[in-house]
Amino acid sequence: MRIERRLRQPWWLTVVVPVVSIAVAFVLSGFVLFLTGHPPLKSFHRILDAAFIANGALSETVIAATPLAFTGLAAAVAFRMNLFNIGGEGQLYAGAITGAAIGLLMAGSPSPLVFAGMIAAGAAGGALLAAIPALLRAFFSTNEIITSLMLNYVVALVLEYLIFDSHSYLRDTSGFEASVFPQGKTLPDEATWSSWTIHGLVLPLGFLLAIAVATLVWVLYTRTRFGFEVQVIGDSARAGRYAGMRTRRKILAVMCLSGAIAGLGGASQMGDFRHQLDPQGLRQANYGYTGIVVAALARYNPFAVVLVALLLGGLTNAGFTLQGADFPAGLVGVMQGLILFCALGGELFVRYRVRFAW
Amino acid sequence: MVANDHVDFDAAEGEVHALLGENGAGKTTLSKMLTGLYRPDEGEIVLFGRTVEFSSPRDALDAGIAMVHQHFKLVSPFTVAENVVLGDQRDVGRSFLLRQRAIESRVEELSRRYGLAVDPRARIWQLSVGEQQRVEILKALYQDARILILDEPTAVLTPQEAEALFETIRAMAADGRTVIFISHKLHEVKAVADRVTVLRRGKSVATVPAADATPRSLAALMVGRELETGRRSTERGPTGEAVLELDGVWADGDRGVAAVKDVSLTIRGGEIVGVAGVAGNGQRELAETIVGMRPVTRGAVQVCGRRLSGGDPREAISAGVAYVPEDRLGTGVAPGLSIASNIVLKAYRRSPVSSGPMLRFGRIRDLARGVIDRYDVRTSGPNVPAWQLSGGNLQKVVLAREFSGDPAVLVAASPTRGLDVAGIETVHSYLRDAASTGVGVLLISEDLDEILAIADRVAVMYEGTVVGERDAGTATVEELGLMMAGAGSED
Amino acid sequence: MNNSLVVVVLASGVLYGTPLLYAALGEVLAERSGVLNLGVEGMMLMGAVMGFWTVERVDGPTPLVLAASIGVAALVGAVMAAIHAFLVITLRANQIVSGLALTIFAGAAGLSSYLGNDLNLAGKPAKHQFQEIFPASWQDLPVIGPIVFGQSLLVYASWVCVVLVALYLTRTRLGLNLRAVGESPAAADAMGVNVSRYRYAHTLVGGAFAGVGGAAFSLSITPQWVDGLTQGAGWIAIALVIFAFWRPTLCLIGAYFFGAFTALPFALQGHGVTLAPELFQTLPYVATILALVLVSSRAARLRFGAPAALGLPYVREER
Repeated sequence: MRIERRLRQPWWLTVVVPVVSIAVAFVLSGFVLFLTGHPPLKSFHRILDAAFIANGALSETVIAATPLAFTGLAAAVAFRMNLFNIGGEGQLYAGAITGAAIGLLMAGSPSPLVFAGMIAAGAAGGALLAAIPALLRAFFSTNEIITSLMLNYVVALVLEYLIFDSHSYLRDTSGFEASVFPQGKTLPDEATWSSWTIHGLVLPLGFLLAIAVATLVWVLYTRTRFGFEVQVIGDSARAGRYAGMRTRRKILAVMCLSGAIAGLGGASQMGDFRHQLDPQGLRQANYGYTGIVVAALARYNPFAVVLVALLLGGLTNAGFTLQGADFPAGLVGVMQGLILFCALGGELFVRYRVRFAW
Repeated sequence: MVANDHVDFDAAEGEVHALLGENGAGKTTLSKMLTGLYRPDEGEIVLFGRTVEFSSPRDALDAGIAMVHQHFKLVSPFTVAENVVLGDQRDVGRSFLLRQRAIESRVEELSRRYGLAVDPRARIWQLSVGEQQRVEILKALYQDARILILDEPTAVLTPQEAEALFETIRAMAADGRTVIFISHKLHEVKAVADRVTVLRRGKSVATVPAADATPRSLAALMVGRELETGRRSTERGPTGEAVLELDGVWADGDRGVAAVKDVSLTIRGGEIVGVAGVAGNGQRELAETIVGMRPVTRGAVQVCGRRLSGGDPREAISAGVAYVPEDRLGTGVAPGLSIASNIVLKAYRRSPVSSGPMLRFGRIRDLARGVIDRYDVRTSGPNVPAWQLSGGNLQKVVLAREFSGDPAVLVAASPTRGLDVAGIETVHSYLRDAASTGVGVLLISEDLDEILAIADRVAVMYEGTVVGERDAGTATVEELGLMMAGAGSED
Repeated sequence: MNNSLVVVVLASGVLYGTPLLYAALGEVLAERSGVLNLGVEGMMLMGAVMGFWTVERVDGPTPLVLAASIGVAALVGAVMAAIHAFLVITLRANQIVSGLALTIFAGAAGLSSYLGNDLNLAGKPAKHQFQEIFPASWQDLPVIGPIVFGQSLLVYASWVCVVLVALYLTRTRLGLNLRAVGESPAAADAMGVNVSRYRYAHTLVGGAFAGVGGAAFSLSITPQWVDGLTQGAGWIAIALVIFAFWRPTLCLIGAYFFGAFTALPFALQGHGVTLAPELFQTLPYVATILALVLVSSRAARLRFGAPAALGLPYVREER
C-alpha cells in the first residue's frame, strides 16, 4: 500500500468522506449492539427519535449542543494556529465561575445589563485562564498542551473548593438542604438568559450567541489581516516571524480568544441552563474535551463546528433521555467515539491518495 | 515525477566511483534507491552478481550498503557510540544488553585506523558539522559496509578538510570497499575517483575513467553543452552610498553561545558582497541577525544610516532589508499556503493589499497573477499551495516578493542550493539586476565558485568572525580556502 | 508510631500511587517511541471493567483468577491502544484528537460503562481481590511495616516493572532503538530500525500497562466496579510522565508524591487539622507546570525534555 499526498483535494471529498465516516460508525456501533444482544436497528431508531424527531427533542438537543459549540469553536480557533489548547474544559469552568459571580452580584439590575455583564465576565474568566499557558508558551516556549491540561484540574479543584469546602460567596449556605448537600447559590431571575421559541423549537440566547461567535470567527479568520497572520503562523511559525509578524502577540491573542469563547460556554451554562454552580455536573459533562473532537470532526470550520455540535449533542441528549434499564448505558459514548475514529481515518482519504499495489 | 530514467552504472570492489551531475540530475534519488529508502519502479540492482530487491533500509544495510546522507541522520542527544551502534544486529550490537565499553573501544579503534578523530563518548549536539560527518562514516565502517555512498560530502567541509576526507576515502578503497562519491564539483571528482558516471536529467550519459577526463569534458557531459566558466564580467556599475553597515556585531547561536563575533562589514548600494565560509561558521546567524530574526547582543547594524535595534524582523523590513533565506520551504514561504498568500506574505500589512483590518482579495489575486507572469513561475494558478512548486519556481516567488518591497539591501543565503543550472542562472541574473538598480546585495554561499562568479568583494567567515576581505577579481581559491580554514588573517 | 501522619500518608500514597505508576510507565514507553496517547483514562477504565469481569466470571483459586484478570486487563488495554496506534501511526491522524477520541469511546459513559452495565457488574464486591501478602507481624514493624510490607502484590510487581522498564530503556539494544525512534525517526529508519513496528509495539505495551493500572482500582483500591471509578487517574498519569521527565524511576517517586497528595488532607483531618483538600490537591499540577517551565531552556530540554519526535507522524517518502 502506498500513500501519496494529494496534489489537489476534490471538493466533493470533504463532503463525502464525513458522510461515509458517520455511516461506517453506525455500522460498527450496530456490530457492538448485535454482539451484546441488543437489536441494532431498534436502538438506532430510538436514538434518532430521542435526539431529533420526538416532540421537544430538538430543543433538548440544542441545549446539549450549545456548550459543545462553544468549546468546539474555542478549540478550532486555537488549533488553526497549531496552538493545542486542550484547556477548554478549565476555561469553561472559569467562565462559569466568573459568569455566576457577576450574575449574583448584579442581582436587581435590569436583565439586559446582567446578561451583558455575565457574557463579559465569562469571556474574561476564560481568557484570563488561557493567558497562563499562552504567556508560558510565548515567553518560555513551554508546551501549551500540558500546561493547559494541568490547569483543567486546578480549576476543577478550585470549583469544588468554592462549592463543597468553603463558605464562598458562590455557595448556597441558607436552608436545610444546602447544609446537608452543598450546592451553588441559585442565580436571580434577572440573570436567567432569554430564549426564543420558533415553531416549538426553543433557541436559547447562548445558542444564538454561539452562532454569532462562529460567524465572527469565520470573518476574522478568512477575511482579515489577523486571520492571515494566524494562517501563516499556523502553517510555519518561522515564516511568520520572517515576514515580520508578531508571533508572541498572536499566540497571546489567539489563546485568549480561544479561552474567552470557552468561557462564554461556561457563562451560558449558568445563564441559560443550570443557574447555579454545579461542579459535579460540569465535570461529568466533559464539554471541553468533547469540544476538541467536535472541532476536529468539523475540520476546524466554525460553521461546521455548530453542525457537528448538534450531531454529538443530539446523541448526548438521546443518551440522557433514554437512560434506564432497557437502553444500554454508555452506547452514546461508544457511538461518539466510533464516529470520531472513522472521521479521523477518513481524513487520510481527503489529504492523501491511497494506492494499492498488488 | 520521474527523477531517474534508466540509469545504468556499475562499480567494482575497491573502486572509488563518482556520480557526477548537476543539482536535480537525480543523484540523490538514485542513492536513496540503493539504500532502500525508495523503491525503483523498473530495472534491477545487482550486487556481487546477485539481483537484490530492497524494501527497506534494513535490507540494504544487510546487503552491505551504507550511506552518508547530505542531511545527517544522527540522533542528537545520543553519544557518538550510541549512534554508531544504532540498528546494528551483528557483533557487539547483537547482544540484548548494550555493551557500552565494547562499542566505545570498537569505535575508537575504527577512528584511529581511518583517521576519523572523534570522541566516542561525546554527544552529537556538542560536535561540529565536520565531526558529525565523521560519525556518519564511522557508522558505515562499523556496519562493515562493502559499499559506501557519500552524498555531497564536501559541502560542509573546508578545502583542507575535504582533502583529509579524500585520504579516508582512499584508505577505505584500499581495504577493498567500494566508495560511491556523489558530487557536482568537477575538480573533486577528478581528485578522488577512479571512474566517473555522469548523470543528466535522470539518465546516465557516460562512464569514463577519471584519469582520462578533464574538468571541461566532464562539464560538457554534465550540462550537455559547453559551459562558460569564469568570473563575473569586470564591468561594474558605480557603487553608491553605504546601505548596510555592520559595526562590531555579536549575536548568539541556537545553543546560547556567541555564533557571530565582532563582525564589521560595509555594503554599498549597487555592489554584491559575497560571504564565503564552511557551513556552520556563523554565516546563517549573521544573515538572521541583519534581518532581525536574531537579536544583536553587541555592536550595531545600520541600514541606510538608520540604526536598527535588532531582533525585530518587521523593523528590518521597513528599513528596507529584503531576505532570501537558506530554508526556502518553511521560512521563505509558508508551504501549505497558496502562492498568492506567499506573494503578499510581507505586503499584506500595507495599503493596496489590505484596507484597515480587512484583506482585499481582488488585489491579492491580481498581484499574484502579475508575479506569475512576469517571473515566469511554472504553475497552474495562484491558488496552488507553495509546497507543490519546484525549487526554482519557489525561489522565483521568494525573489519576486522580496524585490517588490523596494529594498535597499538584499541578504541572500545560499539562494541557489538545490537548483538546477537554469534555476541557478535565473537567480544569479536577478541578483545582478538588483545590484544594477542600486541595491546592496549580501550573498552568503558555501560555494566559492558561485561567489567568485558574481560577487565584487568576498568576506570570509571562520568561527563567527570575518577573517578577511578580498577583491573577488583578484582572489584565488587557494587563498580563500586557507582563510576558510582559519589560517587567514587580515593580512 | 505507625499511626503517625507521615507513615499513614506515605502508606496510602503508595496505595493510590500504584495505578498511576502502572499507567505512567506505559505512557513513558509510548511517548518514548514518539506516540502521545491521551487515551490513558479510557484504557484504564477498560482494564478496570474487564479485569473485574474476569474475577466475577472465572472460578478457581484466588491467585490464578487474579493472574487471569490482570492478563485480561492488560490485553484489553492493548486492544484499545491498538485503535489509537492504527489511527496515528498508519493513518497519520492527529495524536491529540485521536487520544481524546479514545477516552470518549472507552471511558466513563462510553464502552467501559456499556460493558460494565451490560455484564451486570455494578455494585458487587469483588469475589477475589489483591491483599497484603506479608504476615501481620511484619506489617506492624515501625515505619517500614505499613509502607513496605503492608502492600499487595500489585505494588511489588510495579517495583519490578519500574526496574525492568528503566533497564530496558537505558541498557538494552531495543531500548536504544526505541529512544532513537522517539528522538529522530529518520535517523533510526536509515539505520534499519522499523519505526512503525517500534511505535506499534510500545503503544500497545503502554496500553497494557494502563489496563493493569485500571485493574488496580477495581481489584485492589475500591475493590468493586462503578462507572468511571478511576476518577481522572489516567489524566494524572499523563501529567506524571512529564513531571518525571520521561524517566521510569522518577515516575515511581512522582506517583507516590501524587498519591500522597490525594491522601494527605484526609489524614490531616484525622489529626484535627482541617485543610481544604481541593486546594491542596492542586499542588501536584502546579508543580508539574513549574517543572515544565524550569526545563524550558533549550539545553535543559535536550536532556530532560520530551522526545523530539513526540506527536509527529513519521513519513519516509514525503519530500
